[in-house]
Amino acid sequence: MTSPGDATPVKPPPSFSPGVTRVASPSRYPEEHESAQSIDVQLAESQSASSSTPPLSATISDLPIRSGSPHSRSGRSSTPQLARSSIGSPFDGRADGSEDIRSLIIRSFSPTIAVHASEDTEHLVRNKGFKGGFWELIRPFGETVSGKVVIRDSIGSSRAWEDYGVRFVNFKGIGKSTPSRDSGPLAQMEEVLTKQLDSSEGLMGASVRAKDVLGFPAATPLFKSYLQQLLCVAPAAPHETFGHPVANVIAISSRNPAPLETLRQLYADSTTGDRHLPDWVHQEYLRYYVLVHDEERDDITESTKLYDQMKRHFGLHCHLLRLRSSQCVVTDDDSVQVPQCEWLSPSEHLSGAGEAGTLISNHGRKFANLHSETLVDLGTDGTPYLFDSDATAIRAFIRELVVQSVIPFMENKVAVWNDQVASRRRGISGRFISMSKRWAFGSSSRSGIAGSSGGNSGNYDSTQHFYSPDSPEAVLRKMADFAFMLRDWKLSTSTYEMIRSDFGNDKAWKYHAGAHEMCAVSMLLNPLATSAKIKLDSVDQLFETACYSYLTRCSDVPHALRCLSLAVELLKSRGGSATESAAKWAMRVMDFGLVGSVGQILYTERVAACYASKTPVGAAKWGGRRRKAGMWSTLAADQWLKAGKPTLASACLEEAERLYADVLEADGVFPMPEMQGFVDNLRHAVKVEYLEARGFDARDRSPNEDPLDTEETSEKLDKRSHRRSLIGLPVQLDAGALNTQGPRDPENPNDDFERA
Amino acid sequence: MSYYFTILSPTDTPLFNIAFGTSKGGGDGIARFRFPETAQYMNQFIIHSSLDILEEAQWTNGGMYLKHIDTYPPAAAYISAFLTPSGARFLLLHQPPHLPSSTSTGSGLGSSSLLGSAGSTTRASSSSVAANPTSPQTEEAVRQFMNEVYENYVKTAMSPFYKQGMEIRSPVFRTRVTAAGKKWL
Repeated sequence: MTSPGDATPVKPPPSFSPGVTRVASPSRYPEEHESAQSIDVQLAESQSASSSTPPLSATISDLPIRSGSPHSRSGRSSTPQLARSSIGSPFDGRADGSEDIRSLIIRSFSPTIAVHASEDTEHLVRNKGFKGGFWELIRPFGETVSGKVVIRDSIGSSRAWEDYGVRFVNFKGIGKSTPSRDSGPLAQMEEVLTKQLDSSEGLMGASVRAKDVLGFPAATPLFKSYLQQLLCVAPAAPHETFGHPVANVIAISSRNPAPLETLRQLYADSTTGDRHLPDWVHQEYLRYYVLVHDEERDDITESTKLYDQMKRHFGLHCHLLRLRSSQCVVTDDDSVQVPQCEWLSPSEHLSGAGEAGTLISNHGRKFANLHSETLVDLGTDGTPYLFDSDATAIRAFIRELVVQSVIPFMENKVAVWNDQVASRRRGISGRFISMSKRWAFGSSSRSGIAGSSGGNSGNYDSTQHFYSPDSPEAVLRKMADFAFMLRDWKLSTSTYEMIRSDFGNDKAWKYHAGAHEMCAVSMLLNPLATSAKIKLDSVDQLFETACYSYLTRCSDVPHALRCLSLAVELLKSRGGSATESAAKWAMRVMDFGLVGSVGQILYTERVAACYASKTPVGAAKWGGRRRKAGMWSTLAADQWLKAGKPTLASACLEEAERLYADVLEADGVFPMPEMQGFVDNLRHAVKVEYLEARGFDARDRSPNEDPLDTEETSEKLDKRSHRRSLIGLPVQLDAGALNTQGPRDPENPNDDFERA
Repeated sequence: MSYYFTILSPTDTPLFNIAFGTSKGGGDGIARFRFPETAQYMNQFIIHSSLDILEEAQWTNGGMYLKHIDTYPPAAAYISAFLTPSGARFLLLHQPPHLPSSTSTGSGLGSSSLLGSAGSTTRASSSSVAANPTSPQTEEAVRQFMNEVYENYVKTAMSPFYKQGMEIRSPVFRTRVTAAGKKWL
């Protein structure tokens, strides 16, 4: 059960059922047919999903909701009939795939909300089966706020977003990064990748690539999950405030004997106590108070009274959340599955993979999940269930939290800072100040660095490597980040632009890199600046600087990789000539050796995707990069094969064939003899390994009784002419050499192969 | 610097291939590409993929010599192109030598002998042409080379025994191209 926002654009085609494994990939269908079909599926999905969740207003109406909030919006009118793509996104006319990645990137920079719950609340929630407490309970629901979220930008125009989300983090975890971990986050990502690959090969070795469904420019689910992990891998750091809490949810339960005192205690904990946040976090964040009411044991009148009292004490930022305290199991009448967390860090993936049971009964569901979106959901078997009423209550709570408190708070902050700090800087006097600082103290700052003591020009603490959170530089950075999270990319671009040179002057290299990176990213995300308007050169320059600062000056590999990956994906989604520089950055990633061996292959595929997405224009078909894309795809196939993944290799090879089809005279016949030889060998090797992976011996199989051939005819897929990567090969090439291991199967009946 | 020179027909069929190394600065004229010995097909892949760029560049550039049109960064391979009026394309892939630091374990004599690149050791042959593949000197040297090859190509194509689109098998042409390579590159 997913909320309408959860309906993913990547849907398996109806024919893509586990039984008929590879043949059903409709990548040869005409493009229009595909897209129409996928949109239909998407619409149907979103409708069914939304219709089965009861309307929010019905359940909200019986909650004691305050009225007359100054910022109350008409945001509750959720119209689930409209597909997300029709309203939520301003990037029309782009391919589904890049749209998807773009939305992923936008959603990855969502506001962080800390959760700080009292002991009794944690106890209540733990009884419901959530070991991590209140935070774990609400976290998956925060990733998509139900309904539309209306955000006003700096010039006062509003726009509605369907896919807005927030990220809940455990208050205790902020700023306590764990550098003691044995392997870095990138190594962990690589490990997750390997695991995912193994599991997907293990599950019948079926092709689990949504790429076949959407056509090539779409990212593979594998890469999507890689990118997702990459985007949430960075812990809260001084130099960017995306991980800093925008708000803190302080929760108590109705079981608490002394509620108001506990709330005070929790508040004090978060500001002054030993749990308070690191020095570089701005202390002015929103506090939100939640009273969790136990529907089964406690009296609602008591709770309402207490809630009224809370409102009187703490103002408007309160909520009464009504939950049932008993644990829900699958067999209960109104049980719903808790949605999966989309944004899991690699370490969470790994720990989740550890506890994933090997439930055979769940096999089907697991497989369906694999097809629908991710390869990742290894932890789903342990996913707890919730009562429907609870899920609805939590969704309503999060919606109210975001729409009525967090967003207005952020808008307000941006307006205030823009007014007080940024405009002062923008004015003529501000320019003078910064310039005089630069010239007058330029020398002293240099000597200050040399002596590694204070006396630096400005507010940068060069011993601890951060700006104090009240300094104008830090405030401006925070303001730009807020604007970015509110998706006001115009304002964030101009703000990053303003501060990026300051950081360079102060030799705050991480800040410097971060500002350059985000400046380029927000420039690319700004939908109003069309590709003609912004200069791609300047964007390239910004990425170059950011990358240099991250890598050479700070040797911060995860951030550098994130920066370059963002560059690749955003430039690719720009289309046109930007795809070339996207491909260039992807090659740079491989060149720098930022990724492991599997990552290398993924980025090889990305280069192919970048080139493939450059479509020829005009009647003369200029400007296509089909040959380049085909080459990279072939190379990726080669690498997958070397990595022992013939399924993926065959998919890549097929893609290469598709790309080459336009530019070659005859199907699969290359003009160059050595290319031809290489591709023939590759095809053959892929085929042999592919069959071997299923326990077949391909040695003495003549093309006539090729099982794939048989399958094809039995499937009646007359739209596809033939599968060029696998049939029609000269089998007598050198199968014997490739075929040493594994005993021969004397019968290998064809029917069995289809089930294998 | 190692070179791979190809003449492609208008339908992308290769008419002539030759691989050679630089002869400047004490070079012995033997090609040493950066690919492992089994991956010499990469030259053809790179040349083939650069046709994408060539097809675009030939309409935007008036000259016959298109200069450096494409790069393949992972192997630092640079492509220069020359157009003939009949539609045949001359493509020259040039690749600076390995830096001594990079990993180049010699190699078994696999298919490499095919292209005459018996990979033994890397030898930093640094001439002015080899130093920078995109420098004006290199562009000029390649232009001279292309012009000389073009002259010979025209002579070969006018032979009564040669039909348009046939592979060029003339040994005279091959030696002349080799000589041009020795002279200019």
